[in-house]
Amino acid sequence: MNEVLTLLKPRIWPLKNRGLSKANGNSGASFLLLGAFGLLFWCGIFAVSWRVLIYFKGIEDIGDILGYKLLSMMLVVSFALLLFSSILTSLSKLYLSRDLLLVHSMPVSSYKIFIARWIDSTIDSAWMVIIYTLPVFISYGIVYQTGVFYYVNTMISMMCLAVIASAISTLMVMAAVIFIPASRMKSVFILMGILFFVVIYLAIRLSQPELLVDPEVFDSVMVYITSLQTPSSPFLPSSWVYDSIRSALSGSINNSLFFTALSLSFAGMIVSAMIFLSDAIYFKGYSKTQNAPARLFKKNVASDRIFNFLPGPVKSFTVKEIKTFLRDQTQWTQIFLIAALVVIYVYNFKVLPLEKSPIKTVYLQNLFSFLNMGLALFVLTAVTARFAYPAVSLEREAFWLVKTSPLSIRTFLWIKFFIYYLPLLILTEILIVATNLLLQVTPFMMILSTLTVFFIVPGIVAMGVGLGAAYPDFKAENPTQTITSFGGLVYMIACAGYIGLVVIIEAGPVYNLFMAGIRNKIITFPAWIWIVGSFTLVLVLSLLAISMPMRFGERRLSELLT
Amino acid sequence: MIELKDLTKKYGEFEAVNELNLSVKKGEVFGFIGPNGAGKTTTIKIMGGILEPTTGTVTIAGISMQEEPEKAKSKIGFIPDRPYLYEKLTGMEFLRFTADLYGVSEEAFQTTAFKILKDFSLADWADELVESYSHGMKQRLIMSAALLHNPEVIIVDEPMVGLDPAGIIMVKNLFKTLAEQGVTIFMSTHTLKVAEDICDRIGVIHKGSLIAMGTTTELQREANVTEADLERVFLNLTSETPYPQN
Repeated sequence: MNEVLTLLKPRIWPLKNRGLSKANGNSGASFLLLGAFGLLFWCGIFAVSWRVLIYFKGIEDIGDILGYKLLSMMLVVSFALLLFSSILTSLSKLYLSRDLLLVHSMPVSSYKIFIARWIDSTIDSAWMVIIYTLPVFISYGIVYQTGVFYYVNTMISMMCLAVIASAISTLMVMAAVIFIPASRMKSVFILMGILFFVVIYLAIRLSQPELLVDPEVFDSVMVYITSLQTPSSPFLPSSWVYDSIRSALSGSINNSLFFTALSLSFAGMIVSAMIFLSDAIYFKGYSKTQNAPARLFKKNVASDRIFNFLPGPVKSFTVKEIKTFLRDQTQWTQIFLIAALVVIYVYNFKVLPLEKSPIKTVYLQNLFSFLNMGLALFVLTAVTARFAYPAVSLEREAFWLVKTSPLSIRTFLWIKFFIYYLPLLILTEILIVATNLLLQVTPFMMILSTLTVFFIVPGIVAMGVGLGAAYPDFKAENPTQTITSFGGLVYMIACAGYIGLVVIIEAGPVYNLFMAGIRNKIITFPAWIWIVGSFTLVLVLSLLAISMPMRFGERRLSELLT
Repeated sequence: MIELKDLTKKYGEFEAVNELNLSVKKGEVFGFIGPNGAGKTTTIKIMGGILEPTTGTVTIAGISMQEEPEKAKSKIGFIPDRPYLYEKLTGMEFLRFTADLYGVSEEAFQTTAFKILKDFSLADWADELVESYSHGMKQRLIMSAALLHNPEVIIVDEPMVGLDPAGIIMVKNLFKTLAEQGVTIFMSTHTLKVAEDICDRIGVIHKGSLIAMGTTTELQREANVTEADLERVFLNLTSETPYPQN
């Protein structure tokens, strides 16, 4: 056990060394800022869940059922999140971390290295889910007026859920690494991408959330209530946690203890089995990961010649950028994920029961289309955060090539911009056009939203590339995670502000134009000035959103080099 | 002290190490040379217990690496070519971490850690974060860590990379002294001058196979060169066509 603790020390000791680091600079301020945002978000979750539960509690007969249904859905989603997060973290901690070579050369049993890594991985993958589900559980505790037992029991149950999810994921990873040729280690990521898509899709579809807002599909109130009460699978660990928390909420302590004991015993059993198995197969898997990774496709998909029209250095960087992106199989998983999200996003619009709303359908369709524009742009912000923001940091140690090449930082950043701009524009336009078609919006709305998006996408991509360049991290073990840094936060705030501003500026004029269209009214001259002025302002904002972050990124990156 | 028997390592179809057999005596400095991609690092990783061989065995101080890996590893001081160090630990903390894993007692640690850091000119940097170290300093720190538990065998991959001339002389002298004290040193290197200066015997690996082994004089004879330095011997042995003499 001592060796396991020692193996965890490189993780613990740096916490007390924070002051020693010369590279920290403004880390104190950014830590505070990130902490403040985190706290704000935590309080927001608490306020919303508390308000919703108070509302549910006020509904006669089915109030409690709704509250429990919400709890059940939240636990299923948390379990799915924990599973997926653990898969990625355990793969990285157990097989891909750079310090593994060092620890495996030391006289420590491989199962002890495994245990230390697994503990590290479990904490890393679960802490966020645990912390951000906490306000929901607290609000349940307050609304249902529970005692200390509820809180203690909930914490133990959630920890069991995290441990079980982490153990299941790690077992899957260990098995995958043994069976999938290690030279194609990264292909595991692709497999996971598909698995994640299936898990998320099933979780969302099987819960059929749209039925809950459409009581008409049920013959009677009783059938509706019964369907809400349908228990989830008794073999799911999240069901045991749900049963335990639900029993604690209703004051049935014995019942609650039984389900907590069930979770605890299963957690103990699966962890023991995992450690036993790790002794037999973990080192074999690690040894396999050290094989040189093989390429999945040896043939070049695209010819370099299509970029011949570009000047030499620009061409070479463009070709390199595209090739490294396409050959990095970890990027493909993200593309699978995005495809999955897009399908679910579009599907949600298909099943919206608009015709059952008391509000006029044509009005609602176009209102949704307008709001959808903002929503699609937020999706774009997230996708840009994953791909364009880390683009500069992804150069890693090879950044010296950029520094020594006859290419200006400005050109280098614009190459990055255009590489991400085109695919992201296509993605966003697909989102907008597909959802508009499903909503059957007016031609005016279709043109307005596609044009607005066309002008906003470059701004968001420029913010991603520019701010990613302004706050690069060339030493990050995983550059795609740089979005969680201070620069990433600045990017998120800037994008949210920009999208929000555009939606606010366009809302009034769009409403005027739209209503004039349906009511056949003439638009007055002052209204025209307002409309033209607003759209011009959006255009100016978009131009500034492109130029300012790109210049800022260029200046900061140049300063870093001198 | 070190024994490799029929050691083979395949990466898919590619054979990185092919039926390697060699033994190194106690107190011997053995040099392992070969062109890039010849299989040196793969062999060293297998010897260090980081990589599983496809077939064959490694025995360190009479202990099988396959059967008792922890026991075998405790006899080794392992120095990889591109060592990973925890950047957010101080030099002393890194030594403490290593000492704990190798089971060095608190008393022994207190008496040796600072002395070793001093020997490697790192005493002034003991409480600084590793991230502020230069490449050469990191190399010296990993060497210090490898010596902390008084290993019987030192396995080192490219020991001179990143060291300044003073550092190279210091390491050469250190290896000579350790060998005199009975420590066995297995060293892979591209710096043929170093191999020539300090190695008792040299093995030449090419395309995964050991193609020659012996003292510098024996290798000269095998390579059909007279009064030539090791560089010429190496080129003659590993080139497809014989290398012309001056």
